[in-house]
Amino acid sequence: MQVENHSNVRPHWLQVLTIGRRPKNTLIRIAVLIFVCGVTFKFILLPIRVEGISMEPTYHNHQVNCINRLAYRRHEPQRGDIVSVRLAGESVMLMKRIIALPGETISFHDGRTYINHRHLSEPYLKNSCDWEAGPFVCAANEFYVVGDNRSMPFNLHTQGRAERERIIGKLLL
Amino acid sequence: MKIVVRLGLLVAVVALGFWLWTIFFPSVEKVIQKRMIALADTATFDAQANTINRATKALSFIGYFSSDAEIFVDLPGLGSHTFSGRDEIRETANGGFATIPGLKTTFLDQNIRVSADQQTADISCTVRVIIGGDKDSGFEEMHFQWRKKDGAWLITRAETVKTLK
Repeated sequence: MQVENHSNVRPHWLQVLTIGRRPKNTLIRIAVLIFVCGVTFKFILLPIRVEGISMEPTYHNHQVNCINRLAYRRHEPQRGDIVSVRLAGESVMLMKRIIALPGETISFHDGRTYINHRHLSEPYLKNSCDWEAGPFVCAANEFYVVGDNRSMPFNLHTQGRAERERIIGKLLL
Repeated sequence: MKIVVRLGLLVAVVALGFWLWTIFFPSVEKVIQKRMIALADTATFDAQANTINRATKALSFIGYFSSDAEIFVDLPGLGSHTFSGRDEIRETANGGFATIPGLKTTFLDQNIRVSADQQTADISCTVRVIIGGDKDSGFEEMHFQWRKKDGAWLITRAETVKTLK
């Protein structure tokens, strides 16, 4: 009399490689993975690709990164944070650094940044800058954002006051 | 069993009826979306497009604007310009379509708000433009106002929006 013990039957190596030893468990794992990825990339992290040179040398053209959407749930954006600012939606966003907070006055003299007439130290700037602009006053819900590459003329560099509701999140890496 | 089949058929007929209804009587949002897609298609031509093709595109482009339409453009490095009326828009479109090496226009993230009387609609969107064979795209936030005139939806106002003030 022969008795088959199915638990001892070794599956084919190809099956192990493709769907695992226990296909049901593999299916559950795949479902969980899809769910976790879906939730993560829909509500927590937003994958982005950098286009342009305005954040050089901190971030380079075509670099890939993620936006942390939950960064500002417990506190407001801080000076020095690199944030994403949405346009009409989230397909295209501006990636800039916050240098002035709501209520502050910002100006640029001889390439140096002044917040409320006091010089702002910016160690992340590597390129020379000769901007002469301002003063600009941020309203109660506005943050002044600018890129790190200030070697280009002031009027060609996209910068200015961003409303709080446009700030989607903070750059993760 | 008969009842289940009949109920199934009823649901199918209702679904088909609803689908046909949306085809024959589309919502204002759908109509505007289609017009925006058609507008983007009109404002798209490759570098090889000949003069007649470009002139036809320009003529078609003007057809999306009402006679009293206004376009306000304020772009970094280019300053601000206003184009009032269809004639001025026609002149600019003809010149632009004839001289630009090639153009690809896409409207992203369209937010459509229709007025209560269903006669006007406001759209905010991001416009992606690729000129010639450039690898990089240009992006600009824009606002369009559409108005229903004699059964046709036409743009009465188009303006660039400053994302950063």
